[in-house]
Amino acid sequence: MAAYLSLAESQRRIAGYLHRFVDAIARQDGPTLRPLLAVSSSASLLPLADALANFPDSSRLVTQSDQIAQFAEILLPLLRSIQSHRLRCFAEAYSSYEKAANAFLQEFRNWETPWAMEAVHAIALEIRLLAEKGDRELASVGKSPEKLQAAGSFLMKVFGALAGKGPKRVGALYITCQLFKIYFKLGTVHLCRSVIRSIETARIFDFEEFPLKDKVTYMYYTGRLEVFNESFLAADQKLTYALARSDPLNMSNMRMILKYLIPVKLSLGILPKMSLLKKYNLLEYKDVVDALKTGDVRLLRQALQDHEEQFLRSGVYLVLEKLELIVFQRLVKKIYIIQKQKDPDKAHQIKLDLIIKAFKWLGIDMDVDEGECIVTMLIYKNLIKGYFAHKSKVCVLSKNDPFPKLSGKPVMAS
Amino acid sequence: MKKGRGGRSFGGERRDGFHYNRYQVPKQVASSSSNPAPAPASSSNSPTNLQNLVGTCSDMCPAKERAQRERLRDLSVLERLNGDTTKTSPSLAVKKFCRTISSADVNVSDIRPLPVLKQTLDYLMKLLDSTNLPFEIVHDFIFDRTRSIRQDLTMQNLVSPEAAEIYEDIVKFHIISHQKLAMCWGRPEISSLCHLNVEQLIKCLLSLYDMYQVIGKGKCTSNKEAEFYSLYVLLHLGNNLPKMGETLSLWYRQLAYSVHLAMEVQIAKKILRYAEMGNFKLFFSSAAMDLTNLQFSLIEPFLNEVRARAIVQFNQSCYKLQPIPMRHLSELLMVKEEEFEQLCKSCSLETSMDDTGIRLLPCKQATFCIPKSGLPFIGISANQSI
Repeated sequence: MAAYLSLAESQRRIAGYLHRFVDAIARQDGPTLRPLLAVSSSASLLPLADALANFPDSSRLVTQSDQIAQFAEILLPLLRSIQSHRLRCFAEAYSSYEKAANAFLQEFRNWETPWAMEAVHAIALEIRLLAEKGDRELASVGKSPEKLQAAGSFLMKVFGALAGKGPKRVGALYITCQLFKIYFKLGTVHLCRSVIRSIETARIFDFEEFPLKDKVTYMYYTGRLEVFNESFLAADQKLTYALARSDPLNMSNMRMILKYLIPVKLSLGILPKMSLLKKYNLLEYKDVVDALKTGDVRLLRQALQDHEEQFLRSGVYLVLEKLELIVFQRLVKKIYIIQKQKDPDKAHQIKLDLIIKAFKWLGIDMDVDEGECIVTMLIYKNLIKGYFAHKSKVCVLSKNDPFPKLSGKPVMAS
Repeated sequence: MKKGRGGRSFGGERRDGFHYNRYQVPKQVASSSSNPAPAPASSSNSPTNLQNLVGTCSDMCPAKERAQRERLRDLSVLERLNGDTTKTSPSLAVKKFCRTISSADVNVSDIRPLPVLKQTLDYLMKLLDSTNLPFEIVHDFIFDRTRSIRQDLTMQNLVSPEAAEIYEDIVKFHIISHQKLAMCWGRPEISSLCHLNVEQLIKCLLSLYDMYQVIGKGKCTSNKEAEFYSLYVLLHLGNNLPKMGETLSLWYRQLAYSVHLAMEVQIAKKILRYAEMGNFKLFFSSAAMDLTNLQFSLIEPFLNEVRARAIVQFNQSCYKLQPIPMRHLSELLMVKEEEFEQLCKSCSLETSMDDTGIRLLPCKQATFCIPKSGLPFIGISANQSI
């Protein structure tokens, strides 16, 4: 409560903050400057906000000292933002912060060394958080939520300031990741493409130079994009990169990577251990994995139905649906194994009737035509080696490795 | 946004319960040929909103443009009065689409308000049935003039059920064209018309969905809306679609779950799955029985692409010494035997006949190849025999 705060105390707090800010810049002290910009992400500026509410003439404190006034374009809107945020006027807090951030970026461009990179990153994070809060507020009163898009535009400007030959460029990947988060949230995922192009193909950056944490986040998001495109090999490579370099104790991060990596691995014929699913609370995949192990098509379809909304939201639904072919393969293989035990000489010939009976036993009704379609599809996709004799309605298997494993390669595309 | 906890977090995927869509994301100016975003119909206090223009032009084509095009002899065949290349009339002339318009040059007297746009569209849709001209010419005219209608809509930021209906009718036009153009296969100029048509169809659909979201706001999705949503799914049957930025997985992510559950969308997803899983039996029987007229019209031009996939599948998987009777395949793929034979031949496959006169498709032919000019258009034929 600001009620007990005396005017003198308020003035002291504000002045103290302003001096600390200006000093940090003078000493090129990034770590000190950073927390002074954390309007949304931490509670450390709350006492200052209280003081601002209590002391209406705070702008005078900025303009009355030359040393402070030179950064008025940053500080005045910044103080406004801190105050608005305290009053939960988030849209306003965003707008003011953006003004302050723009002014800061101007100064940053003029500083030759990247000493203020931490501060720039802090600003990037705050801009996104404030924009999200601002949009939630706007939507709740029926207005159009436009702050996050504005944040995206601002961050593109920041990216531009970092995309050069100088030492500032190692900060660009962090900004890229903030942009990814924004685009994913806005649903404008296609905008990621141009930033990715700048990072990967323009000759400005050497990916290895970037901080590890940023690389991991970057690979996580670009890996997810590959999942949406069903480019499984690329998705595997990127998500595995992120997984291998993530702190294994950070359960939340591990879980997020695995959530996408598991469907990718499944599409490459690689099954996770049940213990992994349990450890990271990814049991929505349990039945899918079981279906792949046993050839139980009904189980796969049930799993897809049970978690339909969740899978649709994360964008893996279609990937999991396509696993049906691999499940079919497993089922036919089981029939083959049983036949082989009864009569090894004739095992390589499987009657279509038998396959249809197996499906029926799983509760899936199928006629001869459908069965023929499925068997020929499995052969065509190289999940079964052999051929289908249409007249005799028999699937003749190759003597050599009739059910090739995927082993890290995706099922052949259509 | 998780704080602390050792190491940076990727952030949560919590849904905020409101949708970001292009109608809520203000853009600069109605200047591009694509559909830019108007603001929602309810006024917003945001300073970046576009101003709400209200058109006053009461004709299908503003008088100024009519006079100018008469002078320049820039009149479509369908606009000429008694065939005169220099004369048109208010009942024949329709405003042209203008690619390079900027909001600074716009006069309200040149923009048609909603009722006039509706009348214009009704007039254009009637033209679709005219048979005395080659279809490409009619298509070309309506294609351009409906784009102009959409342009007028966006310049006035019109977002309403009536505006949605206009978009729906334009979608229907693109689908009918999609069907009719597919029937004129083989001519190279047609295939680029087809491609451009599908491109506009997709743009229209995406704008329509955004409009549904703004108008709908928490109300149930109607059957009609569900049907239009399902069209986007069905489009993915086609092999040569223009890339429109979003994959189906991405599109599904932002679609409200209630729409996913709608019957029309479920059926579309199922049919797509059948095609991808090679289950041609269920694909064709479902296509014949479970689709609405509009849905079927959309996929009809894709049927032969699906059949070609089936032919490839059977050709590669079956036994050389047991060629498949064409009758069997043509029944499976719901096509007449003669047409099926024609399809095989156009894909460079040979057919044969046995001693009793039964036509066969020999397997393991290596010569399969989709012709550059595309596949002939063949609809669905129900089984002839019982």
